[in-house]
Amino acid sequence: MTILLAIALGAVFSVAPPRTDQCLVCHEGMGDRSAELFRRDVHFKKGLSCADCHGGHASSDDAERAMSKQAGFIGRPQADEVTAVCARCHSNSETMRQLRSNLRTGQAEALAASVHGRSSLSGKGRIAQCTTCHEAHGIVSPKDRSSPVHPLNVTRTCSRCHSDAALMRSYNPSLPVDQLEKYRTSVHGMRNKQGDAKVAECASCHGDHGIRAANDVRSAVYATNMPATCSKCHSDSAYMKEYRIPTDQFAKFSRSVHGLALLQKHDLAAPTCNDCHGNHGAAPPGVESLSKVCGTCHVLNAELFSASPHKKAFDDRRLPECETCHSNHEIAAATDRLLGVGPDAVCSRCHRENENRKGFLVALSMHRMIDSLEHEEKFAGMLLEEAEQKGMEVSEPKFKLRDARQARLQSRTTVHAFDEQKFREVVEKGLASALTVSEASQEAIDEFYFRRWGLGVSTLIITVLAVSLYLTVRRIERKQRDTIR
Amino acid sequence: MSGFWKKTFGWIDERAQLMNLIEFMGKKYVPVHRHSVWYYFGGVSLFLFIIQVVTGILLLLYYKGSEDLAFESIQFIMSKVRFGWLIRSVHSWAANLFILAAMIHMFSVLFSKAYRKPREITWLTGMLMFFLALGFGFSGYLLPWNELAFFATKVGTDIAGVIPVVGRPIMMFLRGGEDVTGATLSRFFGFHVAVLPGIFTVFLGIHLLFVQRQGMSEPLGMENTRSAERKTMPFFPNFLLRDLLLWLIVLNVLAILAVFFPWELGKKADAFASAPAGIKPEWYFLYMFQTLKYLPAKLLSIDGEVFGILLFAVAGILWTLVPFWDRKSARGERNRLVNYVGLIAVIYIIVFTIVGWVL
Repeated sequence: MTILLAIALGAVFSVAPPRTDQCLVCHEGMGDRSAELFRRDVHFKKGLSCADCHGGHASSDDAERAMSKQAGFIGRPQADEVTAVCARCHSNSETMRQLRSNLRTGQAEALAASVHGRSSLSGKGRIAQCTTCHEAHGIVSPKDRSSPVHPLNVTRTCSRCHSDAALMRSYNPSLPVDQLEKYRTSVHGMRNKQGDAKVAECASCHGDHGIRAANDVRSAVYATNMPATCSKCHSDSAYMKEYRIPTDQFAKFSRSVHGLALLQKHDLAAPTCNDCHGNHGAAPPGVESLSKVCGTCHVLNAELFSASPHKKAFDDRRLPECETCHSNHEIAAATDRLLGVGPDAVCSRCHRENENRKGFLVALSMHRMIDSLEHEEKFAGMLLEEAEQKGMEVSEPKFKLRDARQARLQSRTTVHAFDEQKFREVVEKGLASALTVSEASQEAIDEFYFRRWGLGVSTLIITVLAVSLYLTVRRIERKQRDTIR
Repeated sequence: MSGFWKKTFGWIDERAQLMNLIEFMGKKYVPVHRHSVWYYFGGVSLFLFIIQVVTGILLLLYYKGSEDLAFESIQFIMSKVRFGWLIRSVHSWAANLFILAAMIHMFSVLFSKAYRKPREITWLTGMLMFFLALGFGFSGYLLPWNELAFFATKVGTDIAGVIPVVGRPIMMFLRGGEDVTGATLSRFFGFHVAVLPGIFTVFLGIHLLFVQRQGMSEPLGMENTRSAERKTMPFFPNFLLRDLLLWLIVLNVLAILAVFFPWELGKKADAFASAPAGIKPEWYFLYMFQTLKYLPAKLLSIDGEVFGILLFAVAGILWTLVPFWDRKSARGERNRLVNYVGLIAVIYIIVFTIVGWVL
């Protein structure tokens, strides 16, 4: 206990300039690489000695005494001892202040709670210790270009484990091991390789000590947190100034149909940044590949578009496929107003009445069709609601109304084929369903009034019967009284 | 009577001696006093039971008693079968009115001590029919196989299961297994349309036979009235026609209820869904259900729920056996204790039913 206290005190009060460290003297003399590295270690420069981490008598030139267990010598810290040794200072803000360091504290605690804080294969300690990334001797500031956690080196440091398929399989077989390869193809990776330390690297998105699994809701790269993580840089106009790209993506995405679903409804089926741009290989999708990217979710729309005459027209004009009509980050919920020739319609941007009349007429006709389907569906829904409010059993037409709605949704997909005949077939199917629902609902409403009238008539009959029965009883009793008299 | 009806009547009378029956009924007299009105509730109960039998048979033409088809078959009855909605609504409403009428009839008999000698068997068969009516209600409630019925049956059979020693076998017997499943529906259907009606008919026959043989009971103290001062009316046609008049009024009320408040079908039962909030049994079980909710976890070192069930069982047995322990009434003396017990029971049932309904 006394020895530990002495070590702790030693750690606390060894802020003075480096004194003669006999450990260093001997180990350097022995050609020990660790001792050599320690000379340029930030801890050495702060006045810490070998004994501050390893224990023992730093001032004794007697090897036996210097490395005696009584003097608290622990040798090479094993497993979690490593982090515990670092945490003695790095988790103590007072010590860090006395060492004149403005580093934040609590890294060990964050590491323990992180995905790397789980038990390692050997079960003797955590998966990662401080030295796994920072090395043990020769530690320099992360701002130092030679530091393994400098922004230009961190990807290599992480990939030591994360690109090792055999090692990663032992912990998480489903986790890819090609992150570094992908990263090198990304805009971030390419600029990083060119020496741009501002671009995103592993720690920029995943964090450093407190890294969580991507499917952990607390992770910075969890789907719903991803837009905010990317926007840390991409919405900072000052930071992004030199790259000359827009910084309003996050604001636009937040307003978009995808952003509203993801950020407000927490719908994880909605795409987040990396679903379109990739994560480690992040890059803007190219003009030709845009429909493929959107098509990962909107499969039918993409397929229909690719087979449509618009595909070639768009390619020839170098128009980005989906984006031309739907925009990119600020994709609004697609309404039927997009179709046709009205002020909000996108068709008429190219198909003008006097320039491209055929397309203009087809767009107009398709708009009218979907408009009538919507109207019929609404009308059927209204009648159905009225019948339901009247307490009628309308579960079957209610179910049938789904067919009309389904047809309308299908028509909104079919529109991407830009084939009037195909579109008409789908719409007519929906119109037929809507008509069936309207008729059934009207029948139910009529039945409601029939029941009311029926009740009125039967009540009248029963009442007449009851009254005549009452009069009969009176008549019989009067007769009986007369007989008695 | 027109010539045709006279001829028809004469033809039947010649073979069935109808006049003898009319004469017999004409000689039967019903006492007339200020409590005579309660006599009619027996007839109303009978009328509602007949409606149940008729509408039940009609429903049986389309109902399918299986887990996969029960709900859909009721849906079919409600939407596709001509007047199916009316038959089902009338059946559901008449079931509730039947229990209400039977309850009023039972209390009126209790307060007028009509169970006293020599009418012990009439009371006993009446009480047994009342319990069977509750059984009809409980088994019939599950038949539409909707969410509410499913969970109410689960709760109801769970309660039966906590009775010491016999509870678990009873629960297993009712459910046809560990849980409420299609097997429960099948046996509840069997109870509802075969077992219970069969037993009920036997008791009803005995009950009506005794009523006819012994006539209507007179209130205590009326025996001392001089026969010249006693008011009566012939059973036929006076009482029977009045009965018919009330039946017509009840029929009208039923029709109005069925049209203006059609019985809802709800959502199909799903054993894997969580129980909807506020599961409650039918109103006639509500006072017992509410009492069990208020009982503490432990009472006199036994489980509160078990205590409550045993208490209700003992009370039910004592209630059924009232003609045998109320010796005073049998001797023609007034027994205030029965009146007080009956009054407390009525107040208790009304208050707890309302509390259970509101909360």
